[in-house]
Amino acid sequence: MTETESLIPPEALEQIDRLVGEPQSATISRRESQRYAWAAGDLNPIYFDEAAAREAGYDGLVVPPTLLGWIMEDGRPLDQLREDGLYKGRRQGIGLRVSRTMFGGQEYDFVEPIYVGDTITAETRLKGLEEKTGSSGPFVLTTQETTYTNQHGRVVARGRVLSIAR
Amino acid sequence: MSQRYFEDVHEGDELPPMVKNASRAQLFLFSAATQNPHRIHYDREYAAVEGHPDVLVHGPLQGAWLSQLVTDWAGPKGRVLNVGWQNRARGFPEQDLTWRGKVTATRREGNRGIVELEIVETNPEGQTLVPGTATVALPLRGS
Repeated sequence: MTETESLIPPEALEQIDRLVGEPQSATISRRESQRYAWAAGDLNPIYFDEAAAREAGYDGLVVPPTLLGWIMEDGRPLDQLREDGLYKGRRQGIGLRVSRTMFGGQEYDFVEPIYVGDTITAETRLKGLEEKTGSSGPFVLTTQETTYTNQHGRVVARGRVLSIAR
Repeated sequence: MSQRYFEDVHEGDELPPMVKNASRAQLFLFSAATQNPHRIHYDREYAAVEGHPDVLVHGPLQGAWLSQLVTDWAGPKGRVLNVGWQNRARGFPEQDLTWRGKVTATRREGNRGIVELEIVETNPEGQTLVPGTATVALPLRGS
C-alpha cells in the first residue's frame, strides 16, 4: 500500500498523545449508578446497600467501575443523529479516512474505589494509530486512553479503548 | 456472596461458570443507561443494514459481565485491579452466553494476594465472543 492510500493521514498521526476534546467532569448519582447495575444484571450488594459496602471495607456506596466510560455522555439535538443512530461528528478531530468505527475492546486499571456522589474528571488522549490488513481489507486500530480523577485529585482509573475503523 | 481468601486459590483453579442471557428489553435498558443511541442494539431491521442477522449485545455490556464474573467470585472484600477484553464475535439476545475463568498466576503482595485470571465468553455454538483477562486482589485469612 502506498502512502497516499493510507487510511491514516499525516495530520492524524500528529495527534498522538494529545488530548481528544476537552477534559470533562460529571458527578455520579446513586440512581445513575444503580440503573447501570440493574441494566447489566449485576446486583452486587456493594452497589445497592451502603451497610454492605462499608462492611466490605468501602467508605460508601460503590459505583460499578465499568460505568466510568459512560458518565460523560451528554444529550445532543436530535437533528445531529445519523442514520445509524450515532451522533454526527463523534470522531471528528482524528480525521481518519474511514466510514465506520467499531468497538474492538477495552482495558481498565482500577486504582481507587469510585463512590456514589464522586465528581470524576476524564481526560482522553489518543495513544495509538495502527493500520492493519484483515480478511475484509485494511483497517485502523486506534487506542485512546482516558484518565479518571476524583474530586480529591486522586486518579481512580485509567481506561483504554480499542476501536476498529475501516 | 461469600468471601474468597487468597490462601484458597491456586493456579489452574476454574471459576464457577456464569451464564448470561440478555432479553431485548435488557439491551434497551443498557443502551439507555449508557446513552448509546446506536440502532444495531434495538432496531433489528436497521441491524440488517449493517450486516447483522439480529440486534447485537453491546461490547461494553459484555465488559460489565466480565467484571461481574470476577467480583462475584472474589467476594465483597476482593478488589478488581484490572480488566481487559476484546469483542471478537457478535453476541445476540435470547442466547446463553457462558463466562468461564481460570487462575493463571498468584502472588503474595504485602497483606493481600494478587490473582491473575484468564476469561472467556462463549456462545451456544462454543464460539469465543470475548477473550479477556483480569487481575484481582484478595484478602489473606486473618488479615
